[in-house]
Amino acid sequence: MARPLMLTIMRLLTPTLEFDMLVFIETLINGLLLGALYALFGMGLSLSLGVMRMINIAHGDFIVLGAYLSSVIVMSTDLGPLASLLLLLPLMFVIGWLLQVVLFNRVVGRDPLSPLLLTFGLSIVIQNLLQEGFSADTRSLPAGDLALQGVELGGMSIGVLPLISAAISIAVFWFINRLIHRSPVGAAVRAVADDQETARLVGVNDKRLFAYMTGLILVTVGIASVLYGMRTPFSPASGPERLIFSFEAVVLGGLGNLWGTFIGGLIIGVSQLFGARIDTGLGPFFGHLVFLLALIARPQGLFKGGKS
Amino acid sequence: MKSENLSVTAAAANTTGVAVNKTYWIKSIILLGLLGVLIALPWFTGYSTQRLMVELFTFYAIALAWNLLAGYGGIVSVGQHVFVGIGAYAMFSVSTTFSLNPWLALPASIIVSILFALIFAVPMFRLRGAYFAVGTWVLAEMARIAVLNSDWLGAGGGIPLTTMTGISRWLRNAGVYWAALAVGAGSLAVIWWLMRGRLGLALLSVRDSEAAASASGVNVLRTKVILWVIAAAITGTAGAVAYMNTLQVSPGATFSLNWTAAAIFIAVLGGIGTLEGPLIGVIVYFLLRECFSSYGSWYFIILGCIAILTMVLAPGGAWSLITRRKQIDPFGIRRILS
Repeated sequence: MARPLMLTIMRLLTPTLEFDMLVFIETLINGLLLGALYALFGMGLSLSLGVMRMINIAHGDFIVLGAYLSSVIVMSTDLGPLASLLLLLPLMFVIGWLLQVVLFNRVVGRDPLSPLLLTFGLSIVIQNLLQEGFSADTRSLPAGDLALQGVELGGMSIGVLPLISAAISIAVFWFINRLIHRSPVGAAVRAVADDQETARLVGVNDKRLFAYMTGLILVTVGIASVLYGMRTPFSPASGPERLIFSFEAVVLGGLGNLWGTFIGGLIIGVSQLFGARIDTGLGPFFGHLVFLLALIARPQGLFKGGKS
Repeated sequence: MKSENLSVTAAAANTTGVAVNKTYWIKSIILLGLLGVLIALPWFTGYSTQRLMVELFTFYAIALAWNLLAGYGGIVSVGQHVFVGIGAYAMFSVSTTFSLNPWLALPASIIVSILFALIFAVPMFRLRGAYFAVGTWVLAEMARIAVLNSDWLGAGGGIPLTTMTGISRWLRNAGVYWAALAVGAGSLAVIWWLMRGRLGLALLSVRDSEAAASASGVNVLRTKVILWVIAAAITGTAGAVAYMNTLQVSPGATFSLNWTAAAIFIAVLGGIGTLEGPLIGVIVYFLLRECFSSYGSWYFIILGCIAILTMVLAPGGAWSLITRRKQIDPFGIRRILS
């Protein structure tokens, strides 16, 4: 703790490191684009916390699982990573639906502890199954030309791939938000989130709804995992860190506030990239630090918790 | 009304303590005999057995501390490995910096763990439930990255325990074993004593109903922070002793989630919220490890599946399967309103 903090102070006080406006803006934009991906990581967690009151410790491992499944699809068919979504998303939906029916529905609503510990066990199982199936080596999804293309913007270079993934993230947030606030299914979801018992009384089949919900959550995870795998190399052990970034986005944004989660993701992304500017190894550290400081200042999250 | 109930419960607990009967003496003699055998172990076992026992006792203490937090305080922490790391690093750096005998440096683990627990309590106790759980994990990640980037803590390479040189092999193994025994038995004794006393009563009332406990004069936050600090001290000391065995700390291994995962597994399997649970859990854990650890990933897959099945089928763990048939209470910490 001491060295990173001292480094920050030193770097801020050193006159030799002149303030470069261009670098600042470039870091900010790249941070926002990275943050949009973190927001997409966090969306599934935000939905399961907001609607089912359950935290999924295996959430990060599902992101990694999705990336591996996509890589299997890419290798065994002619599809590219983005086209692999056509097969991956239905598969993720089925996995989510089955998990909720077979496992999660047995513990959800019992007490907050049980789902946490159950998904903790699931996380260990997924990590080791991935390791058994794909070895501990890192791999990445072939992004092709996209990975190299950049847009020149007033002397700065912004990657095309991060721009596309941010656009997809915004589109997914817009769509899910609309689904929850403007559709009959969304009304049932909001009713269960508000009061599970009463929702059941007026005829909502909550367990069945939860199964579709987890299916939907894994669909958002599937989209996030392909964008993640095209951007960063991943290994079976990458899951826990994804969970932590998702979690930070959700808590920063405030419980049950989907757009809050989006902003929370942006904040974590920007803090990490500015942290990495100070010291390349300390990017995630600064993300965590900003998260803790924000937590001390506003424990309830930065935005008012609307029911999602 | 509630406070009246509580005082009746306290009185009931007291009378069982006062009525010293024959079973009390039998229990004490068995316990002392067992302790004597455990202390004498280095004279009739080999180094490998002693090393295994060191692991067993330290894992037990860490699981007991985790179980104390989760089962009695309702505080679930997924970041307990931060204290394993802090305790081990505190002992290693104090011992090597001042050329101090490692055993004499152990109190540093307790003190530093308590200090960090108090600092961590400031942001963490703003979180509740699952948020607290993952929040502690964030802390542990931060600590790991900070140590990894701190040259004075050996950065990525870690610190070797150079002060162990010059101590004979037998004495080193036996000494670490006795330290582990002291940590294991000591933490059980501390927690048993706490649970029999005022804090234990406060804890049980907080666990059963926070609102009612608070209304009858229990300072809920203070009680939870005390528990958090005690668990940190136990975990930190156990971590330090565990690394006396390996003679080297490194950020990746010492601040590893595997420590917390093992603690959770032991507590869940044995029975959350019981003193007996971790004892059963740690034995099952090590039996499974001795039998299946050669299978690599499959061993962890089996462990994970057992944890999942326990949560679905018998959330009370192995101990609940026993008490379901027969009401027994060997530690005498249950409080029954009579």
